[in-house]
Amino acid sequence: MGTNAIMEKTATDPAVRKMEASFLIDTTKCIGCRGCQISCKSWNQNGTDKTTAGPTLTNPPKLNSKTYTNIAFYESEHNGAITWNFSRNGCFHCKKPACASVCPVEALVKTPEGPVIYRADRCMGCRYCMLACPFNVPKYEWEKLSPSIQKCNFCYDRLLAGMIPACAKTCPTGTIQFSDSIEKNLTEAKKRIAENPGKYHNHIYGEKEAGGTSVLLLSAIPLDQIGHAKVGDQVLPDLTWKYISGIPAIIGVVLAAGIGSWVITRRMKNMDKEDEQ
Amino acid sequence: MSTERHEIKMFTPMTLGLLILIIAGAVSVYKRMTLGLGATTNLQDDFPWGFWIGFDVLGGVAMAAGGFVIASAVYLFNMKKYKPIARPAILTAFLGYLLAASGIFLDIGHPFRIWHPVVMWQIHSIMFIVAIHVVIYTTVLAMESSPMFFERIGLKGVQRFVEKIMMPIALFGTLLSTLHQSSLGAVYLIVPDKLHPLWYSSLLPFSFLVSAIMMGLSMVSFESILSSKFFKHKADMSILSGLARGSIVAIGFYFVLKIFILLSGPGLGAAFAGTMESRLYLLEMAVGVIVPLILLLLPSVRNSMGSIFLVNCFVIVGIVINRMNVSIFGLLRHAQERGVSYFPTGNEFMVTLFLVALGIFLFKFACKYFNVLSYGEVKN
Amino acid sequence: MTNHWIDLRNADVILVMGSNIAENHPIAMKWIMKAREKGAKLVVVDPRFTRTAAKADLYAPLRSGTDIAFLGGMIKYILDNNLYFREYVANYTNAAYLVNPDFRMPGQLNGIFSGYDEKTRKYDKKTWSFQMDDKGLPKKDMTLKDPNCVFQLLKKHYSRYTADKVSDITGTPKDKLLEVYKIYGSTGKPTRVGTECYAMGWTQHTVGTQNIKAMTIIQLLLGNIGLAGGGVNALRGESNVQGSTDQGLLFHILPGYLPVPSAALVDLKAYNEKYTPKTKDPKSVNWWGNRPKYFASYLKAIYGAAATKDNDFGYHWLPKLDEGQNGSWLMLFDQMSKGKFEGFFAWGQNPACSGANSNKTRNALGKLKWMVNVNLFDNETASFWRGPGVNPKDIQTEVFMLPCTSSVEKEGSISNSGRWAQWRYKAIEPIGQSKPDGEMIHELYKRVKKLYQTKGGKFPAPITNLTWNYKSKDKEFDTHLVAREINGYYLEDIFDAKDATKQLGKKSELCTNFVTLQADGRTSCGNWIYSGSYTHKEGKMINMMARRGKTDPTGLGMFPEWSWCWPLNRRIIYNRAAVDMTGQPWDPKRKVIKWNPDKLDPKTNKVAPGWDGDVPDGPAPPMADEKAGKYPFIMRADGMGAIFGPGLADGPFPEHYEALECPLQENLMSKTKINPAVKLFHDGKGGSPEDVFFSCDMRYPYVATTYRMTEHWQTGVLTRHLPWLLEAAPQLFVEMSEELAAEKGIKGGEYVKVKSGRGEVKAVAVVTKRFKPFKIAGSTIHQVGLPNHFGWQFPEDGSGGEAVNLLTPTIGDANTMIPETKAFMVNVEKI
Ligand SMILES: Nc1nc2c(c(=O)[nH]1)N[C@H]1C(S)=C(S)[C@@H](COP(=O)(O)OP(=O)(O)OC[C@H]3O[C@@H](n4cnc5c(=O)[nH]c(N)nc54)[C@H](O)[C@@H]3O)O[C@H]1N2
Ligand SMILES: Nc1nc2c(c(=O)[nH]1)N[C@H]1C(S)=C(S)[C@@H](COP(=O)(O)OP(=O)(O)OC[C@H]3O[C@@H](n4cnc5c(=O)[nH]c(N)nc54)[C@H](O)[C@@H]3O)O[C@H]1N2
Ligand code: SF4
Ligand code: SF4
Ligand code: SF4
Ligand code: SF4
Ligand code: SF4
Ligand SMILES: [Mo]
Repeated sequence: MGTNAIMEKTATDPAVRKMEASFLIDTTKCIGCRGCQISCKSWNQNGTDKTTAGPTLTNPPKLNSKTYTNIAFYESEHNGAITWNFSRNGCFHCKKPACASVCPVEALVKTPEGPVIYRADRCMGCRYCMLACPFNVPKYEWEKLSPSIQKCNFCYDRLLAGMIPACAKTCPTGTIQFSDSIEKNLTEAKKRIAENPGKYHNHIYGEKEAGGTSVLLLSAIPLDQIGHAKVGDQVLPDLTWKYISGIPAIIGVVLAAGIGSWVITRRMKNMDKEDEQ
Repeated sequence: MSTERHEIKMFTPMTLGLLILIIAGAVSVYKRMTLGLGATTNLQDDFPWGFWIGFDVLGGVAMAAGGFVIASAVYLFNMKKYKPIARPAILTAFLGYLLAASGIFLDIGHPFRIWHPVVMWQIHSIMFIVAIHVVIYTTVLAMESSPMFFERIGLKGVQRFVEKIMMPIALFGTLLSTLHQSSLGAVYLIVPDKLHPLWYSSLLPFSFLVSAIMMGLSMVSFESILSSKFFKHKADMSILSGLARGSIVAIGFYFVLKIFILLSGPGLGAAFAGTMESRLYLLEMAVGVIVPLILLLLPSVRNSMGSIFLVNCFVIVGIVINRMNVSIFGLLRHAQERGVSYFPTGNEFMVTLFLVALGIFLFKFACKYFNVLSYGEVKN
Repeated sequence: MTNHWIDLRNADVILVMGSNIAENHPIAMKWIMKAREKGAKLVVVDPRFTRTAAKADLYAPLRSGTDIAFLGGMIKYILDNNLYFREYVANYTNAAYLVNPDFRMPGQLNGIFSGYDEKTRKYDKKTWSFQMDDKGLPKKDMTLKDPNCVFQLLKKHYSRYTADKVSDITGTPKDKLLEVYKIYGSTGKPTRVGTECYAMGWTQHTVGTQNIKAMTIIQLLLGNIGLAGGGVNALRGESNVQGSTDQGLLFHILPGYLPVPSAALVDLKAYNEKYTPKTKDPKSVNWWGNRPKYFASYLKAIYGAAATKDNDFGYHWLPKLDEGQNGSWLMLFDQMSKGKFEGFFAWGQNPACSGANSNKTRNALGKLKWMVNVNLFDNETASFWRGPGVNPKDIQTEVFMLPCTSSVEKEGSISNSGRWAQWRYKAIEPIGQSKPDGEMIHELYKRVKKLYQTKGGKFPAPITNLTWNYKSKDKEFDTHLVAREINGYYLEDIFDAKDATKQLGKKSELCTNFVTLQADGRTSCGNWIYSGSYTHKEGKMINMMARRGKTDPTGLGMFPEWSWCWPLNRRIIYNRAAVDMTGQPWDPKRKVIKWNPDKLDPKTNKVAPGWDGDVPDGPAPPMADEKAGKYPFIMRADGMGAIFGPGLADGPFPEHYEALECPLQENLMSKTKINPAVKLFHDGKGGSPEDVFFSCDMRYPYVATTYRMTEHWQTGVLTRHLPWLLEAAPQLFVEMSEELAAEKGIKGGEYVKVKSGRGEVKAVAVVTKRFKPFKIAGSTIHQVGLPNHFGWQFPEDGSGGEAVNLLTPTIGDANTMIPETKAFMVNVEKI
């Protein structure tokens, strides 16, 4: 089902309508099985790229227009002890998504239920969303003549049908925990950190990043060591909005200044003329 | 009046060169349109905007700023002195915008949906604001340029009518330009984590506007000198040194602004950190701001056409570097952290060359067949 | 598994050694993660740092093929530090038994046990026996002090396995070694339980069975068998491999683990004589004493009315093995390569890639007249005649392809490692002309039978007399009828032998369970352990395997109403060892079963003492009951857990031997380098050139192992066609340490050649911190590893690479003959 059709479809279940979809992704539980990656492709019927084995097991090496989520493998060694971290990439479904805020045609929108979804028929392909997303999530179908933006849609179609997202459903270890409330997941995340001293890096990625996201990540080590961008706490659309909301004032000033100077300079020139005469 | 127009030879080696570039570039445009972006550019997921946005759009629009600067000088500030260069300046702007719009047309994935923003509004989007501005301002520029067209086809009445209402048009144009030039800077407000701190600032819109004015002044001056050389008419030294004085103010202001941004942002140290970014930053500042400012402060420079020309070149190149820094080099570090880099393909260069060559050709064409350059002289 | 998947969550320590559960049994890994959340410790011992190791509390590397040394060291540690569960060991195992004084151990005999015959490479097990008293019961020393008692012999045997020696052999750093011992040894307390998860990392060795045996000893010492969260757990492989071994897939067993008769057992009596263990101990249940009932019922199931008492229920129609004949994989292909076979059904397998020494296997296929490939897809086996280096013109084998349906296109039961038989339904209609395997066999049988009937043959009776009642009203072949035949029927009304008024079974109804089976032909049962899986209740047939009840009365996750589990729906076998001698749980938190003297019979509402909890290993009262009490290990003739295990071919205690191909000049433990009881296909001097091996040879300096990854299934026939999986794991690769890569100038991502004495493959180098060189007896030994999922046929452009079995040797375990594909020698070269 095209996301557009989903968008138009209204779920009959009021509980669905009230939800605030959220993932709590606890990478300490992840076993790197890539079930999420495959089930996402399966549900969305996404295609593949030709890949090669190595240098690490991560494949496809990055998110792309056919890959909404992937597992990245990071190995490291400290004092002879090896750690191998599995890090899940994907859209964070920001509370105030930069991607949707910059989209000139509302092709990307934040739905009331939380998912940030894409409507291909509106998109003109400016790719501003790609630039704007602090997590580098939206991907483009570069190889196509009539390309679309591609990214995780939080399985909006499944949510409306009362099912949880495909990746969460598949995850055997509960790494990807779906909830209908960001708050609930946040509380759970805090609880896990508090109850397991030393197990987690004390930071809930997504709680504050980019002003807060619907997807929260927990990890044993800082997330920037496992491929996640360092993202500030600002609500990104606010940065732009500060400017945009100033536009009426700019208009006022420019008009006033323009008319004013026109009047004044006219006068001055006339006075010059009078003087000459 | 046609007799008073300068004799412009259409078939010169330069025109031939332009035509060759246009034809070769057209092939690249054709490739882009038939093979798609992936096959013809080095744009990629981690670097979605490249040379076309940096040079054609950001650079091009800045270069076109001469139009609104001169239009407001002449029609709002009543500086009649500059009227002779109003027509070429506005025409340049008009062509500049058309070409920037073409650049966007070629850059977006769905060129034929370029009209979408006109009907699908999203007022939170800078891109929407920019798009609407481009559309309206190009229309305004068309109106501002229309007198010479009406003049050419003999509709004197219409020409005079349009000239009568030129003040509100110019005012509107100025307004749009102000917004538009600054909005292009505002495009990058959303990427605080990606754009290098040497360039990222909440004052980006303002600095884009001020630098556009600088650029506009230099562009107009640059064109006047060039066209005087090529089309063999006399450049008015008083206009040029007037523009140069204006530039001093603009550049001076810009200099202060940039220093303020630097100090309130990453600090002086960042500019001398020895990184690629700091070098490019220093280059941009030296070429576009410091050298021109020093030179222009010398009266001898202000009074020499050759020196002014040189300063113009500095400013233009400097501001183009600035636009490239913001749109490409300032973002490379982030891309490189993600394991990618970007350098345009030959095809990307060719498309840009095509647009530039087409612009120059159209300008020359207009000069030959319309009363672009001698308008002021005739009036006087 | 003695336990079951969900039960992993009840463990305090989980030792994953010899398997890689996170990658190969990812769904099961969730129970380990649950256990960890409750504070359990996960310990992983593997030559390489796996995805399971990534979740471990403790990881220890070891060189492939050295597990017995590692575990022997653990046994020593447990004994030295008195960590064993004394009460359990003394009462529930044969630790107190006195062994034949002539028994000698490797420490005394240069690495071999007494009774070895070098010529036959076999042991005469005469001295591996217990001393018997005049009642015919084994002599015991409950103080465990007699130098001839099992306990003392164990101590003596493993006294040679010092931590330093073990570390020298395994390459495991000593501190890691001791850490593992310490954590695992902590489960010797009644309230702490440890479980072990093994699979191919242990079995695919010349000492495979002994690897498991070593762990069994540890689990018995620590009292971890029978308890929730304990056990020695084989994580079974192919989706229904548990079911297929239960149903007699292997050459040497009939359904229900009844031995295949040999030609020497001339009649039913001789068979029963040989395979029915006896005990004189009234406290031993000796369940296998019932073998004649199961065997007779089996014969009745397959030969029906034709099976009568007079003709030994058709015993003579059963195929017999020659005395000592081995029909396992390696032998089959060895014979095939010698042209001893005309035809071959490659039914649901891909031996051209999965069989050790694939070049030999592939060549062998070319010696056939015909081959039938029953599969979902064409594969490297079916297309062997057009494989790399093969000229189709040279191949005379005629190949037939029969397309079968996939697992979701047919109905039937599937048994998981926890012995749960779960009924599955057909989800979609079969594609094209594909047929379920059962239907094909059905069709095949009908035609073969007709040929025998019309044309006769040397011995038609075994075929013509088979019962074959699988046709139902609406289906030509109905799996339900197969399932019922397996469960068994009462062929007559059956009454209790002691109480003739008590009717046990009604004629032509399905058997309630195996307890009511008879040895006289009045019952039929296709597989006694599955008896009870499809029964009659109040006149209605119930498919117990299709049950989906979710109650969990013990809270231990046994879910007794979910599907059905053999035997008798007992979720943890040997559960009588989970309680003390009075029937009270060793650990009050883990009430697997519990003797309840005040139990009320729900029907009569009278007190009838009995067990609460899981289905107990027999209803008898606990062992302490003087009159009726029974020993816990009911499947063993003596009722005791076997620390001393004379049943195996290569010794009653595990002893460390090197793999056939190893990097060492000699075994650091003894003068005997490799398992003395393995069958050699090539003795190092002479034999078929295909079977060569190279030990401690400069040309092949690196230890290699093979394994699986989550993303693919086996030889990849099911997964290489799936673009999503192929994208995630596109090609054969070889993992190696940064040190080896640096030594060889290899960069990650480059193609390299991996060569053994038998073949070579091209692979992408994955240079990783997860492999580390081993320090073995002072020198550095490198190990590399390759996944076993690729083959030349798909992807079509050949980018997947070839089967790693081109590299592996022809050698198998001394007991099971499973090929040694986990430890062999290779070289790695840049290309
Ligand atoms: N995704 C997936 N799952 C599968 C399968 C599959 O093909 N794909 N196959 C199924 C089948 S049929 C089976 S039998 C099981 C097998 O399941 P496993 O036994 O878990 O499979 P392997 O990966 O072959 O081997 C397990 C581990 O043994 C290690 N190993 C190698 N040599 C040694 C050694 O000498 N000692 C020790 N301690 N470890 C060693 C390897 O490094 C590897 O990590 O998996 C089943 N599950
Ligand atoms: N080097 C090395 N070699 C190994 C191993 C190792 O670890 N290392 N592991 C060994 C182990 S444990 C195993 S189990 C073997 C596996 O060896 P094989 O069983 O030969 O390998 P598979 O690839 O599982 O082959 C199963 C075939 O059955 C087909 N199939 C699937 N479903 C059905 C069905 O319903 N009906 C029919 N008729 N066919 C079906 C599949 O397409 C596939 O071709 O490999 C062994 N070989
Ligand atoms: S992560 Fe990026 S794509 Fe996803 S909602 Fe946020 S800004 Fe948009
Ligand atoms: S590329 Fe499409 S979705 Fe993204 S901002 Fe532009 S129009 Fe919106
Ligand atoms: S939520 Fe749906 S679309 Fe998003 S990653 Fe999960 S499966 Fe894919
Ligand atoms: S499915 Fe769950 S455990 Fe598997 S890789 Fe994805 S997040 Fe990790
Ligand atoms: S393949 Fe099947 S049996 Fe194996 S883990 Fe996945 S779901 Fe379980
Ligand atoms: Mo297996």
